[in-house]
Amino acid sequence: MEHTSVLERVLRGAALTLVVIFFMFPLFWIFLMSFQTNETILRIPPSLVFTPTLENYQALITGKLQTAAGSLDIAFMRNLWNSVFLSVTSVAVSLLLGVPAAYAFARHKFRGSEDIAFTLLSFRFAPPLLVLLPLTIYFQQLGLANTYFGLIWVYQLICLPLILWIVRGYFEDIPADIEYAYRIGGHSWFATFRKIALPLAGPGIAAAGLLAFIFAWNNFVFALVLASADKQPVTVGALAFVTASGIQYGQIAAAIVLSITPTLALALYAQRYLVEGLSLGAVKG
Amino acid sequence: MASLELKHVTKRYKGRAVLDDLTLSVSDGETIVLFGPSGAGKTVLLRLIAGVVEPDEGNVLIGGEDVTDVDAEERGIGMAFQNFALFPHMSAFDNIATPLQAKRASPGAIKAGVESVAKLLKISHVLTHRPRALSNGQKQRTALARALAGSPPVLLLDDPLRNVDAKLRFEMRLELPRLLDDQGATVVYVTQDYKEAMALGDRIAVMSQGRIRQLGTPEQIYLDPADIEIARLFGDPTINLLDVKPAKDARGVYVGLSNVQVHLAGPFEQAIGRDCVIGLRPEALTFVRADAPAAIPVTVEAETPLNEKTVTLVRTVRGREILVSRPAGTPGPVAGNAHIAVNPKSALLFDRASGARIGASKVVALKSGAAA
Amino acid sequence: MTTVLAIENVDKFYGPVNHGVHAVKDLSMQIAKGEIVALLGSSGCGKTSTLRMVAGFEEVSRGTIAIAGKPAHMLPPVKRNVAMAFEGYSLYPPLTVRENIAFALKAARLPKATVDQKVAEIAKLLEIEDILERYPSSISGGQQQRASLGRALIRDANLHLLDEPMGQLEPQLRAVLRGRIKHFIKERGLTAILVTHDQTEANALADRIAVMEGGVLQQFDTPQKIKERPANLFTGTFVGEPPMNVFEAFVSGEADRIKLKLPDGLALDYEQGNFAQGVRDALLKRQRVVIGIRPYAVRRAKDGVPATVSANQWLGDQTHIAADFAGGSLVLVEHDRTRLERGETIGIRIDPQNLHVFDAGSGAAISHGPELA
Repeated sequence: MEHTSVLERVLRGAALTLVVIFFMFPLFWIFLMSFQTNETILRIPPSLVFTPTLENYQALITGKLQTAAGSLDIAFMRNLWNSVFLSVTSVAVSLLLGVPAAYAFARHKFRGSEDIAFTLLSFRFAPPLLVLLPLTIYFQQLGLANTYFGLIWVYQLICLPLILWIVRGYFEDIPADIEYAYRIGGHSWFATFRKIALPLAGPGIAAAGLLAFIFAWNNFVFALVLASADKQPVTVGALAFVTASGIQYGQIAAAIVLSITPTLALALYAQRYLVEGLSLGAVKG
Repeated sequence: MASLELKHVTKRYKGRAVLDDLTLSVSDGETIVLFGPSGAGKTVLLRLIAGVVEPDEGNVLIGGEDVTDVDAEERGIGMAFQNFALFPHMSAFDNIATPLQAKRASPGAIKAGVESVAKLLKISHVLTHRPRALSNGQKQRTALARALAGSPPVLLLDDPLRNVDAKLRFEMRLELPRLLDDQGATVVYVTQDYKEAMALGDRIAVMSQGRIRQLGTPEQIYLDPADIEIARLFGDPTINLLDVKPAKDARGVYVGLSNVQVHLAGPFEQAIGRDCVIGLRPEALTFVRADAPAAIPVTVEAETPLNEKTVTLVRTVRGREILVSRPAGTPGPVAGNAHIAVNPKSALLFDRASGARIGASKVVALKSGAAA
Repeated sequence: MTTVLAIENVDKFYGPVNHGVHAVKDLSMQIAKGEIVALLGSSGCGKTSTLRMVAGFEEVSRGTIAIAGKPAHMLPPVKRNVAMAFEGYSLYPPLTVRENIAFALKAARLPKATVDQKVAEIAKLLEIEDILERYPSSISGGQQQRASLGRALIRDANLHLLDEPMGQLEPQLRAVLRGRIKHFIKERGLTAILVTHDQTEANALADRIAVMEGGVLQQFDTPQKIKERPANLFTGTFVGEPPMNVFEAFVSGEADRIKLKLPDGLALDYEQGNFAQGVRDALLKRQRVVIGIRPYAVRRAKDGVPATVSANQWLGDQTHIAADFAGGSLVLVEHDRTRLERGETIGIRIDPQNLHVFDAGSGAAISHGPELA
């Protein structure tokens, strides 16, 4: 029998609030910092009371960073654009390659299929630093270093295994009978893939794409080594805030807020699809 | 319209043969039922005919043409699945329309085709619904409609009534033969329900372990089963099986049941002295008075009504359990002691070691049933 | 007769009382010692909620439940002294079948010899002797269900609650196990409630059947009464396999006859004398009624109302015939093999003593045969 007393409910609420505060506090604090000057941030003791300023955002958007040592040019908006371009293109390429591959791995057990699939996943196991050095040398020789093309190619190491393995699971969850039914009805395997498998795995593909996007967006090491200033994403670009005259906490905070906004917005938007993905179980009814 | 032939078909999974050198031919317009316990290979066989599973050996012929290497979409087959396998993202209409779309029919022809088959299956009012919004019965009818929509010459039905409730199942069982006949298609129907098999099949193929154990009309299978296993699979309640050792006296072959000599009608000479099992269908046993000939004394344990029958569990003096059934409403035994008698014509004898039938066909003997 | 279970005006709401889902509505029933009662209905009818309230797994929203004369609806399950076999078996996975079955007896500190003897007896009954030392994960669904039944039946409890106890049993064993279990329960004078959606099971085992639908108890009576005198159209068409044939009919009285006019210009014509005065009055004051006729009670006669055979299915021991009749389909059951071809015309006779009449609006039974309902 389920009894929920008032006390129990109050305690549960308090515990949940604590957890939320604990996890959300850094984000919240960064959000506040982005509206403060370096001086107010570094006050001791720290205070929640301050006069908000848009200075930090202004600096980022105009690209003029005011420091104690004078004005400094930063390419934050350029970095932001790089991030968007690199992540979107990488995910798009990964989806294009990964979804059909995932379908093949899910539906056709050919000789060595498990081994190939596992090899692809194992790209995720290798520490990026380990492959970085040889990769850099090759890229330089091939003229791929510091090109979007090269970066997107390397980003496949992040996106492709992720998409492949998640989407494969979704394809496997579609009862084979549903696809058989369409084929026996007189449709080719490609039509079946397009009209049945793709729509039914849609939510899963969206979820995998989103996850890959976030991973690509957050990548640091590959971009640090393989890209110079004009191709750098925000993750690397943020280093610019560590200047000779100290660390620009306010601008860093504003940069963080700006750079997590796209992923956050995307995640919130895609939530619907993720929920829909869960109701895929209705297929089996 | 087309005949269907399977020639020496073998299919192995992980070295184990799920279909073992199976040969079957179904004539044009015939309905054949594949019946057997789960794991017998029925569903694999169906898929093999459909073309979504490839045989390791052997050939599949449709209308006399070898289609073993032809893709599923080019075989012109309609199939309904046990779990319906409806496309969840399409309306019932679109589901049913898919085979017609594949034939590149005009929108008008598709509409007309879907509507006529929907009317036949009484689902016209739910055509706009997605599968999720359909009841189980409607899902099943939609799945059938989709299978029928392209007027396929060969129709494969994989236990289509498995997942609907008893009432709908019964209704569909009576409705299906007419539907299938009107289609004129050659039908292969898979089921685990012996009643469905008997009701729908022109012939029944009893399968187990990837082989066809017996192939015949419902009459032949029920009255003349090839072995103990098949006898046990048909009939509710299940056939009574008792160990006996037939002997012979002046009146013929008899078996001893609870010290009573029960004479059997039939050429059972070869069974004399052998370890046998006698199979007695519950409806072949009747309650009789103590002074009736060959009356076997029993104690009544429990009465359990079953549909329009009353099934009685009795125990012989030697402790063997026997089920006796009679039409509901007919007088039965008073609780406690009673006597039963065996209809000598309907007894089946099996070899105890091999399970194989001993003796001749029963079909003739029981054809005397009430004619219209 | 001592009452073992008394359910008085019980309601069950999921969610807030009066606002949540009303799963069981004002249910009252009494079950005497030694009775086997079946709660029968389709899914969502409230039968499982009722059983779970009796067992103590669900709170009673309103009303009382008394077990063996003592109020029980506030007691936790363990204090109610009821044994239960669960639909999902719920066998303890780390224990063998033997340990599962003996669990309650060991907890009650019975001597080992007694436990062993009882387990052996129940195992023989359920044909699980050879799997006693196996673990639940290594046996089939049917075997698990038998083990679960054994675990419930072995206990000495006020009430034995069996939730869909035989759904997964191997078809070849079902008939004989039904007989044995019924014998076992009766011999020991146990009181059992089984919940089932399968009327075959309810009919086979139960002394009385409680038919439920929409949370409401439709009828609580012996299987025979339910079959012969269904309280309403729901019970009439729900219980009975094959289901009862029903047709809408218009009543008209002419001289000393009662005519029931069916679609397609057909009519059933009876002498008024076939029916008791009360039935005649009840019929004649209505225009529209629903008539019901059990498939096995339909007779064939040369001079009967014409119907066209649409299916003839022989099932070994029965023949099921469907015929197009009065704009619908009529089903007949005969115990012999019948040779009829599709398309053949047969004459249908419905004897007045087999006719059930229901109110067209409420569905309540008006008459069964010549008698008022």
